[in-house]
Amino acid sequence: MAAAEGIADGAFERAFAFIGAGGHHAGRDYFGGYCCYNDVVIAMAHLRATRGIRRFAILDTDAHHGDGTRDLTEGDPAVLHVCICGGSYTSPDGTKVDVPLPAGLLGGAGDPDALYLKIAEGAFAERARGFRPDLTVWYFGFDGHRGDYGDMGLSVRCFLGLADLACRVADEASGGRLLTVLGGGSRTDLATALIPPIIERMGEA
Amino acid sequence: MKRVGIFYHKSFSRRSYLTVGRRLADFPGVLAPLLRQPAFRLLTCPEAPDEWILRVHDPTLIPAVEADPL
Repeated sequence: MAAAEGIADGAFERAFAFIGAGGHHAGRDYFGGYCCYNDVVIAMAHLRATRGIRRFAILDTDAHHGDGTRDLTEGDPAVLHVCICGGSYTSPDGTKVDVPLPAGLLGGAGDPDALYLKIAEGAFAERARGFRPDLTVWYFGFDGHRGDYGDMGLSVRCFLGLADLACRVADEASGGRLLTVLGGGSRTDLATALIPPIIERMGEA
Repeated sequence: MKRVGIFYHKSFSRRSYLTVGRRLADFPGVLAPLLRQPAFRLLTCPEAPDEWILRVHDPTLIPAVEADPL
């Protein structure tokens, strides 16, 4: 919430929010999947109530479906929620999207990083540009990295590419304003290898 | 360069994400090279008031989370 406030108040253009527990599996009256409270939706509600900021575009690249975020934003046309989770769904108004992943992404032929990045780019970039959010939010889970609990065969290269995608979309769609919120992922070595260069990319013009 | 706020709390490294507990054990130390650049600021996450949580969640959720053994 403080990170979102800082962006809204112009203290910085971008923010990276570490977390103590996850958020995107927490719905209106339930929680689970190691999530307690829905940090992203609480931040959006707070900005609406206190800053008059209305429109948000969320890219969720945690390995698992952001069911709590969807529960809390369903029927809200001012929130674009694109979840790269293996589901297949588009709401009638086009603002809630679950993106299928090809069977065999993990261990399949080809380059999982390139394939995932192509899917994320195709699902989010154009939609966000057309949506014109006030703030772009990247829900960044690294559990899809090779060897973590949501293993999709992805490597550091994919997550750095996702950071570049989120920054580019934020520049094009929301005046550069980007909030990155840490999601799933369990390994210390991956957190240490991934998070600093992602934050560094967020600082690049 | 863009200005970037980095929000962290030391409790996240002690018991961060409930699956393993210490995935952020190397933080904030590994951010030191970044923090030497003026574009990056490390800030402490304040506690979120219950009233913010209740803008989104049902009032039953807070005691349910507090009672969870995780």
